[in-house]
Amino acid sequence: MISPTARPIAAEEPDSADPTGVDEAPPRQQRRPLAAPPIAALVQRKPEGAEAARVETPAVKVDIRHVNFFYGKFHALRDISIPLHDRRVTAFIGPSRCGKSTLLRILNRIYELYPGQAATGEVILDGDNILAPGLDVNRLRGKIGMVFQKPTPFPMSIHDNIAFGIRLYERVPKSELDDRVESALRRAALWDEVKNKLRDSGLSLSGGQQQRLCIARAIAIEPEVLLLDEPASALDPISTQRIEELVAELKTDYCIAIVTHNMQQAARSSDYTAFLYLGELVEFDETETIFTHPRVRRTEDYITGRFG
Amino acid sequence: MPAEHIIKSYDEELARLNKMVVEMGGLAESQLAAAIDAVVKRDSALAVRVVEGDAAVDQLERELDNLAIRLFALRQPMARDLREIFVALKIASDLERICDYAANVAKRSIALSQAPPVQLVHALPRMAQFALLLVKDVIDAYVEHDADKALDVWMRDEELDQMYSSLFREFLTYMMEDPRTIGACTHLLFMAKNIERIGDHATNIAENLYYLVHGTPLTQARPKGDKSSLEVVAPDRAQGR
Repeated sequence: MISPTARPIAAEEPDSADPTGVDEAPPRQQRRPLAAPPIAALVQRKPEGAEAARVETPAVKVDIRHVNFFYGKFHALRDISIPLHDRRVTAFIGPSRCGKSTLLRILNRIYELYPGQAATGEVILDGDNILAPGLDVNRLRGKIGMVFQKPTPFPMSIHDNIAFGIRLYERVPKSELDDRVESALRRAALWDEVKNKLRDSGLSLSGGQQQRLCIARAIAIEPEVLLLDEPASALDPISTQRIEELVAELKTDYCIAIVTHNMQQAARSSDYTAFLYLGELVEFDETETIFTHPRVRRTEDYITGRFG
Repeated sequence: MPAEHIIKSYDEELARLNKMVVEMGGLAESQLAAAIDAVVKRDSALAVRVVEGDAAVDQLERELDNLAIRLFALRQPMARDLREIFVALKIASDLERICDYAANVAKRSIALSQAPPVQLVHALPRMAQFALLLVKDVIDAYVEHDADKALDVWMRDEELDQMYSSLFREFLTYMMEDPRTIGACTHLLFMAKNIERIGDHATNIAENLYYLVHGTPLTQARPKGDKSSLEVVAPDRAQGR
């Protein structure tokens, strides 16, 4: 089911040459043309009623358009176009080095910290091109929060971990600051666990708590977009589920992009999924479609664990 | 199977699941064929073997269920793999029902063999052979994962329904003409109904196979050939013949 505003993108037809160079027999389901007239006539692809009853998809918050990325001479991303919807979770999946983390790093221009890295194309956030040279990067990072794979609390108290970011962007009176810290910690489902030890070091928390502290820190500055780079891959299953639950709650307010190696996690927690391979976008569609009947053979091979 | 899984034992388990479905399909075919034989030859010993043989099918279905549950739990299948396992489960339960119906036909044939032969008995095997062919073809379609072949079975079930409707009418008329045949004809009617149901299960299998291959359900209403549920034969009309 493809909603009108979501643009499903298949970079290549299923039959195109396989860049892995592995010569495989065509899959059974493709030996016959899928849309052969007598069969197609019998199949009603979309139930009209269900489509009409659908809640309208929120607008595109971040529009990635024809983005290319270079690590020096290495062409790491090739002509990527993906819309990220507001108040929806979009997952980037793909094998290691496919470019999914790179793509996330473009969205808040972290790559600029390193020499020799360059992006072309456009990333439109609320009408402005994030990649434009004159853009105020500090303001951009106030709008786009990021959480990394390994929890990265600052070596300071739990309270200050949150307050630090807020003070960076705003002048806030002390009493209000405490409220902001509390509400960020509550939002990140960490408040009850730390409310009696706000002066303890952020580093004294467990891995899962540290990660939620980082999420609290990211949302304390009231961003509009949240980027999560494998936020749960270093955590135990219980903490992982807490993070997933948190993502589900946060999406009522934010546009969220999540990079994950955990296929089940992508399937559970995202609304849209983009599958990248060797720097190219292979398929983008609603998550349900990607994980039940993707249109591109390589996507299906990857999600079913058939990747060579 | 398309490309192999990175985890080899996953492929082996899926292949085993497939093999079990095909094995159940083979049993369904042989049970139905033997049941028809028992009717035609009035062979009560054979009929008893069919009835007893049903336990093996039930056992196989339980094993298949266990394997499928294991696959769901351990592999967390996605996309095509998920459909493969889900559909195997559904097909297995249809095959189990087909075997139940075959066993019931065999059971009734024992009672039928004890009554004097009814002339109409010969109409039943013709219908049963047709149902057997549907079952055989849909299992072949499963072996090859051939959705077109499945679709063909799906369409042909209408003919079986029509055969049932006309048999139903004939039996009714027959019973009215000669009430002494009511006992035998009632058994024959139930047997015919069982066989008609077997066709419906073959159709279910075809639908599931179509979904397995294409990932989308076969949604259009199937043509219905069985009008017997609306049938009324007025006594005077029957006697007037």
